[in-house]
Amino acid sequence: MNPAIEVASLRKTFKGRDGTSRAVLKDLDLSVGAGEFLCILGPSGCGKSTLLNVLAGLDNVYEGQARVSGGRVGYLFQEPRLLPWLTAEQNLDFVLGSCKVPPARWEELKSRYLAMTGLSEYRDYYPHQISGGMAQRLALVRALCVEPGILLMDEPFSGLDEITARRIRTDLLSIWRETRKTIVFVTHNAYEACFLADRILVMSDGAFRQETRVPITRPRSYDDPAIFQLSRDVIKAFDEIGREPVPSAVPATEPTLVDDLDRHAAARMNI
Amino acid sequence: MLKLLSMVAAVIVWGLVSLTLPPEIFPGPIETARTLWGEIAKGDLWTDLAMTMLRVVAGLLLALILGVPVGVLMGLSRRAETVLDVWVMIGLTVPSLCYAIMAFMWFGLNEGAAIIAIAVTAAPSITINIWEGVKNVDTRLVAMARVFEASRPAIVRRVLMPQIFPYVMASARFGLGIIWKITVLVELIGRPNGVGFKLFYWYQLADMRQVLAWTLLFTIIMLLIELVILKPIERRIFAWRPQVAV
Repeated sequence: MNPAIEVASLRKTFKGRDGTSRAVLKDLDLSVGAGEFLCILGPSGCGKSTLLNVLAGLDNVYEGQARVSGGRVGYLFQEPRLLPWLTAEQNLDFVLGSCKVPPARWEELKSRYLAMTGLSEYRDYYPHQISGGMAQRLALVRALCVEPGILLMDEPFSGLDEITARRIRTDLLSIWRETRKTIVFVTHNAYEACFLADRILVMSDGAFRQETRVPITRPRSYDDPAIFQLSRDVIKAFDEIGREPVPSAVPATEPTLVDDLDRHAAARMNI
Repeated sequence: MLKLLSMVAAVIVWGLVSLTLPPEIFPGPIETARTLWGEIAKGDLWTDLAMTMLRVVAGLLLALILGVPVGVLMGLSRRAETVLDVWVMIGLTVPSLCYAIMAFMWFGLNEGAAIIAIAVTAAPSITINIWEGVKNVDTRLVAMARVFEASRPAIVRRVLMPQIFPYVMASARFGLGIIWKITVLVELIGRPNGVGFKLFYWYQLADMRQVLAWTLLFTIIMLLIELVILKPIERRIFAWRPQVAV
């Protein structure tokens, strides 16, 4: 299988005002297989968004190689970034037009992905008329309907409430199962990463520190204790790297209630 | 509805206050309306009104042509901002009377000079509005458009312009408010017709009825333009905006 993304010795430095330069990406090597779901896990400021910007072509100033193949890139930002003066449907038309998708296919693509995310009824709504969760789902539809080979996602659910985020994560997995896109998903939430990914790369201070393959079979259930266990291990290992100290150990008793799990997730999984 | 009530109340107060003073000094609303009606019946009021309107519109257009590009430039380039910001301040500070005198002395007592004086006075405040607007452009939306392969012209037209347009609208309205006032002043100094000329003429004859009649006429026209033209345009263009409940 040809890799969809290949990054070699990628280095990026920012120049500060005082003339000192700071390396944000330190000789990264990365290879993502076609159809793979990769999560990059790390604290804020570790360089994960910068990496995505390079992959998306938003940032062209770097050293080393970053090659993306296997089709167009779709991007889901942390915020929906919808054009507020356009309706839901017009927002989709805007990207379909700018990506030069043949107009004959627009209707099919729009209705397919709107239906997948339960937004079919909301075509004529303006972004301010729908909830934050719906707006983010619409942004997902927007990213999908240009038929990208690769989907880049930058903490797309971190601004949503847990219930909504969980629903969209499940939606995302079923869409991924159907379309088999390559996904690079950046997050600071270890539990989310373990639920979604085939492979997790822990990033800290501009470098990958650790790689974990997620052995849990699909379809996965969000409440699967194995996910919880794994996310604990990921964090523990991360703690041992010693870069970013994470507060105390996880309690011995394994929580069985979903709500408990969420509280633990919120308290300890967010590194 | 409330708006109408407050206007009616103001007219009543005007009427009551005018009762305490002789009509040559402070005529009441009925007296003023009658004088205005007399002027309208005579017919030559329309020429003055038309000339004033012409100057206002031409002045506003020229002010936008001068003010918008400078504002855009200042919003986009930090260097332009540093250089121009003091000049915008100076432009704002110089009294409109100075601009009017300079324009008439340099370019002669003609229509062009009047319009230049009007435009130069209003341009700095238009610039400030646009400058603010361009600085507030959401660059995250621009990044979004770039990721989705939008071309440069498409980004300008479909992502930047809709963000800047509200500020152009606001600055045009704001500019209009300034321009009404300057136009009258410019006409008073250097034009042989127009509302300002008439006001000055009646002022010299100490005819308070006429002065108030012309002021009333001017105000009514202004309100009509605001309510009949500008408001509906704005409502149509900004239909997508959420209603703010206060």
